[in-house]
Amino acid sequence: MIRRHLTTIGLLAPPLGWLFAFFVVPVGIVAAYSIDVLHGPSLFGGSHKVTLAAWHAFFHSSVYLGLFWKSVKMSLIVSAVVVGLAYPVAYYLALSGTKRKYVLLLLLIAPFLTSYLLRVLAWKVILGNQGVLNSFLVWAGLRSADHPLSQLLYSRFAVMLVLAYVWIPFVALPIFVSLESFDRRLLEAAADLGASRWGAFLRVTLPLSLPGVMAAFLFVFIPTVGEFVTPSLVGGTSGYMYGNQISDLFSAGFPDWQTGSVLALFLLAVVAVLTGAFARLLQVRQAAG
Amino acid sequence: MEGQDVTERRLSREDLLKLAAVTGGAAIVGGRAAVAGAARTQLAKESGRLQVLDWAGYEVKSLWAPYLQKYPGQNPKFTFMTNEANALAKLSTGLKPDVVRPYVGYVTEFAGSGYFQPWNPALIPNLKQLNPAMVKAGQYKGKQWGIPEDWGFDAILYRTDKVTPRARSWSLLFDDRYKGRIAWFDDLNQLVWAGYYLGFKKPYDQSDAELKRSQNLLKSKKKLVRTWWSSETDMQNLFASGDIWIAFAWPADWVAMKAKKLKVAYMYPKEGALSWVGMLMLGKGTPRPQHAHAFANAWSSAKSGSWLENNYGYGHSNTHAHPASQDLVRALKLKDPGALSEPHTHIDRRVPRRALYARLWEEVKAS
Repeated sequence: MIRRHLTTIGLLAPPLGWLFAFFVVPVGIVAAYSIDVLHGPSLFGGSHKVTLAAWHAFFHSSVYLGLFWKSVKMSLIVSAVVVGLAYPVAYYLALSGTKRKYVLLLLLIAPFLTSYLLRVLAWKVILGNQGVLNSFLVWAGLRSADHPLSQLLYSRFAVMLVLAYVWIPFVALPIFVSLESFDRRLLEAAADLGASRWGAFLRVTLPLSLPGVMAAFLFVFIPTVGEFVTPSLVGGTSGYMYGNQISDLFSAGFPDWQTGSVLALFLLAVVAVLTGAFARLLQVRQAAG
Repeated sequence: MEGQDVTERRLSREDLLKLAAVTGGAAIVGGRAAVAGAARTQLAKESGRLQVLDWAGYEVKSLWAPYLQKYPGQNPKFTFMTNEANALAKLSTGLKPDVVRPYVGYVTEFAGSGYFQPWNPALIPNLKQLNPAMVKAGQYKGKQWGIPEDWGFDAILYRTDKVTPRARSWSLLFDDRYKGRIAWFDDLNQLVWAGYYLGFKKPYDQSDAELKRSQNLLKSKKKLVRTWWSSETDMQNLFASGDIWIAFAWPADWVAMKAKKLKVAYMYPKEGALSWVGMLMLGKGTPRPQHAHAFANAWSSAKSGSWLENNYGYGHSNTHAHPASQDLVRALKLKDPGALSEPHTHIDRRVPRRALYARLWEEVKAS
């Protein structure tokens, strides 16, 4: 019994130690910055007493909360659209019975073999005023060269389009796994009981694949709500997101690590709460099922 | 925090013992000449490549060629900064450059930051050729903290074939007719030019009410702006591709766009352009003081200055440096004695409430 306990502790210690060293401690440091126990670079000195001033200012700032809400909306749209687009693909791969499904799956994730930065920058070539799309529109006589569709780049649309493109493979994989692993005999049973194909999908396939769909949704939502690379490359002023503000407060703008830490912790807390809520929802559904 | 002069810097007990051992041994063997030689050797014994934290584009060898003549093969290692705040963030996270280039408005703040020490003017012979007013601007508490090198303007670059300004004014940066074709600079100085546009007396030191008006102006006009740039290369690419027609820009951007055969003009607003002087500053406790001084001396040479003017369209503090092209002479207003003084231009200066300006600018971006 003792040996078993020791084995368990031995197995758990490395990952828990890793989690503590590289997650709990850094978050603690950021929390210390947010209340000015630790302080970032400053040209102005200051008293550096423990203070909740930055938290107070944050919760009374319509600007930062407004930006956060804007980022949440953009991420929700991206997540929903991507899940909507990826589901039929994953459905086809998992349930069509094609022998080439793993080849097709490999093709789906092929863009991951190139760098993230390259994939985002490629969209600048496609969406720019003299890019592929606008050149085509001019060539087709749909737009004049002096009036290209400039909203394609440096806009919220551009950010959401690129994020959707980047995250589709991540979304398709968990849905594919959940669809492939469920018992097909349930579909046969549904058909035997008189359900149409659409009815079987709505009452059997979709509910059983929901854990995968939820996981996929979170896979996109969590990273995109704090995204800053894509908006900084294709977002312009209107595509500026919450993650950009955090990044700017720490480095690109004037150093204000206290406010930056508050913004970062708020994001972390919201994501943690949402993840917990989703997990709870799934457990309830599974228990009810 | 007062820094230390290279020649006066205090040595640790260990350093003193080492120096005593070296010079004492030499004195026994060769007398006073050997002592001086040993001291020089000790000073010259600087290991590693010079570390320079600078703006992208200034890594070009022609700008510090005399340094390489003195130390052949010892190319400095460059790290890039996008603005002074970015440099400060890098310093605070452990980067220890030997030389950094903030602009004149930051000299006193950087001098007081604890990351820098004054230069020894005796080790920079070319200092005598530099514009005395600019040299003075690099002084703080009687010591030379900044060596002035490049200077130039913040003004407006625009396409003459696409844009017809209603006035020679900062207002071109928020002209409704060019919505989506305008780029601002990602810097708190946007509040400063907004202050000049609004006619405030001290845009570098605006009152709370004035700052609110400047911020509201920028917030209300932000919808017209395609992007705010922090990388000059990105902005030039956008301009060259036709994505933007109007930009808050530097003279080098005008030179670059002309080289691409674009029809461009560099407008000095009637409210006054902003102007700046780059100041090389010496890292505190640098292990390579001789190399750092040689680097600053190289940058201060007339040859480097002329190269800078001819190729980047910036001015240089060396009074013997002159651009070859009359276009550049006109662009830099080198024949206009009042060009670099009020009210034609507003030299970058210390912003007493810079942190507040920064926060308000971040709020403009987030709004």
